[in-house]
Amino acid sequence: MRGPCGISSAGWRCIEAAAGLLAPVEREVVLGDLAETDRGGWRGLGDVLGLASRRQLALWRNWRPWAASFGLALPASLFLMGWSVAASGAVASLLGEPAQASLLWLSLSRLFLVISWAWMSGFVVSAVSRGTLWASVLACCGPCLYCLSEWPGHGLSGLRLLIFVLPGVWGVWRGRRDVRLGPGWAVFLAALAPLAPLMSGKGGWLHCCWLLWPGWYLAATALRNQE
Amino acid sequence: MVGEFEYLILSAAAHLGEDAYGAAMREVIETTGGRTCSLGALYTTLDRLEAKGLVETWMSAPTQQRGGRARRMVRVTGEGARAAREFYQAVVRISRGTVWGESLLSPVRGDAA
Repeated sequence: MRGPCGISSAGWRCIEAAAGLLAPVEREVVLGDLAETDRGGWRGLGDVLGLASRRQLALWRNWRPWAASFGLALPASLFLMGWSVAASGAVASLLGEPAQASLLWLSLSRLFLVISWAWMSGFVVSAVSRGTLWASVLACCGPCLYCLSEWPGHGLSGLRLLIFVLPGVWGVWRGRRDVRLGPGWAVFLAALAPLAPLMSGKGGWLHCCWLLWPGWYLAATALRNQE
Repeated sequence: MVGEFEYLILSAAAHLGEDAYGAAMREVIETTGGRTCSLGALYTTLDRLEAKGLVETWMSAPTQQRGGRARRMVRVTGEGARAAREFYQAVVRISRGTVWGESLLSPVRGDAA
């Protein structure tokens, strides 16, 4: 079975899969160009991958991918892992002594902060640099995999460490869909962001303060869009 | 002033006129220009030329020949034509009086001796 222009069916499928790296409009144009010329599967694949690499390189000339992956995804994953452990610890203590109101408050507030922080970080990572989301995912997964492999069996189960993952993925998904947050929500999240550093106690202040920028980025973009 | 590859693209688009689009321009550059041209180089350069206002591009209607896919059509603007002419005249001016004879084409000077 043959694909267009004499390329084998398997070869054409590879080319189409590689073309998934391109923007939809460009994908159609490039596949159309390849379909009407007879240059062989390897050259077609090289063309598609070459164009995708050039597009990626062009994206990395901007500040956005750097800010999203190394300015947010990487430090936020470290911060959120710590907060996931703290929140799950508070919940575990609450399960041991369910009658304590202070423990209930502590557990709920920490869980709420982890979820809202993770959602906000995912949303901002995705909104700041959608085209290089793969790099942000790698920057986030690196520390997670390191911690999971480094401290197995120290009471740090994957679930305890990675409570933030689901809300983070949800935030990424919303950000990818070009959803615009209302100014009310954005300011609420920006105001919520400093609570985590305030509750983090000793150490990690600089790290936590650095992580305030996504909240203010959200607020600034929402207010600008409103104008 | 435009670069050498930008000039090739402008010339190919001008040569093809109403039929200028990616695959056809690549064909012209490779067969007439005698150099390989990847789609990556072609489309990133086209984007740059469009950003400079030297070409205009738009999507055509989908065609059967391309499996129902559209073409990215290209037209050289007046500004683009001026820039290409400038490049061409510069090459002509700087080449005047230069003869690319055998002595200059030998790989190492003094080979003849």
